[in-house]
Amino acid sequence: MVVGIVGVPLWEEIQKYVKRGDTIIDLDDALPEVSVEDSYLPKTYCSILKRVTSNAITLAQAGNLHLVLADVGEGKCDGMRYIASFLRQLLPIPVVEVSNTNSTGCGYPICQSQLPLREKMELIVETVSKPLVPTIKIQKTSPACGFWGVPPSDFTLLELFPPNTHIYGWTRCMENKTPANRELELQLNEGVPTVFFSQNFCQRSALAFHLAKKHQGLFVQMDHHLTKSIRAMVEAFIKFNVK
Amino acid sequence: MSEKILIDCGTSYTKIYYIKQQYYEIIPSREFLHWKTDHRILLATGYNTRGMGEAQVNELIALAEGGLRLIPEDSFTLIDCGARDVKYVTMEGEKIVRMDWNTECGAFTGHVIELLINHFNIDPNKLPPDSEKIPVVCGVLGMTKMFDKIAEGVPYPRAFMGFLKGIAWNCYHLVNKPELLYLSGGLCENRAFINSFPSQVRPLGRYVLLEGLKSFYENPNRLKPLEETVSKRTSC
Repeated sequence: MVVGIVGVPLWEEIQKYVKRGDTIIDLDDALPEVSVEDSYLPKTYCSILKRVTSNAITLAQAGNLHLVLADVGEGKCDGMRYIASFLRQLLPIPVVEVSNTNSTGCGYPICQSQLPLREKMELIVETVSKPLVPTIKIQKTSPACGFWGVPPSDFTLLELFPPNTHIYGWTRCMENKTPANRELELQLNEGVPTVFFSQNFCQRSALAFHLAKKHQGLFVQMDHHLTKSIRAMVEAFIKFNVK
Repeated sequence: MSEKILIDCGTSYTKIYYIKQQYYEIIPSREFLHWKTDHRILLATGYNTRGMGEAQVNELIALAEGGLRLIPEDSFTLIDCGARDVKYVTMEGEKIVRMDWNTECGAFTGHVIELLINHFNIDPNKLPPDSEKIPVVCGVLGMTKMFDKIAEGVPYPRAFMGFLKGIAWNCYHLVNKPELLYLSGGLCENRAFINSFPSQVRPLGRYVLLEGLKSFYENPNRLKPLEETVSKRTSC
């Protein structure tokens, strides 16, 4: 059986399916066999949720998805709660809505590690459902730069950042397995030049914008792909602000 | 021997700096792109750069560096109104504390203004300064309002001046309403545009980005290669 997860459902819940031999796929990810259709949601809507919706509908209709396990609580967003409510009616498979309110953090060594930012992000996304491979060496570093936000729709953005860029915001909550921990989401290292990122049309933009102003960071939003102007702003911010 | 040059290859015009002769030239970009030349382009910036030059510098970095070279104050806001876009940086010391780059919409860009000046065949330095501002939500809607005014009987120099004021108002708010604003780009030569701002505007001319490139040429250490700042994938 193929189980598609959305957001960060409880680890124990995911592992129930893993233990019985099911395949877990992350519906937040870009899947090569699925093209994102604009017909399911308004044009001006979060790219990640458009992707989730297209993935779920395309795979379920092709018989390649047998259950959706979606976090629709404070750990994800209102958008996913509404989408789950119509996916339940639309799809021929069960759509299980869960709310991950886990408050017991398991730490966030990847966020603070020496790994390049893109690799950090890929690992954090992978470890939503799988344990960290023990051969991967994680060393704690001092932050030279910061990335605050959610995993972007285009990971190319992350390749612009210098070594020892630490991750903050919701992505750090993901690694900590506490996606609804807003207190952790707000914590930053003072004085670290930080880029505050949000997807276009995401409610988190309010927080990203506020924090960027408060900490003299750079606020950037992206829709589908990295654009020339976003690239230029991030490059300029790093060039002049990261020593 | 090929001559070394620096270029700012914009949408409408390419600004060139000849290093040995120490002089500047401006030619239409459509001509520059077909320029048969053996000039050696050391550094290039601008929308139409298309991989030209031995190194490319993004426009925001060139703008900020040009500002640091030309502006005496430690803290300043510098806006570049180009043919198709508007970008700005606010610097404190050598750090960028705010910036933005509107690349998607020609709402308040130089090319629209140039087209309208040619369309009306008017001298932008002889526009009535007391014209009422026209709200320019975007370039197209702003022009619609301007032509509505003309249809209502407002003389077109007065309507156009109102359009310019609307554009200046947008720029002023984009950069967070500073008391003093430095201006870069072709609109530095448009006195009516400069006078349309509610704040003091100091025009720096069309070569600010080239000045940034000159700074990097003269101080190569300031142009930290991007490869140094880009994360490299490591094997785990």
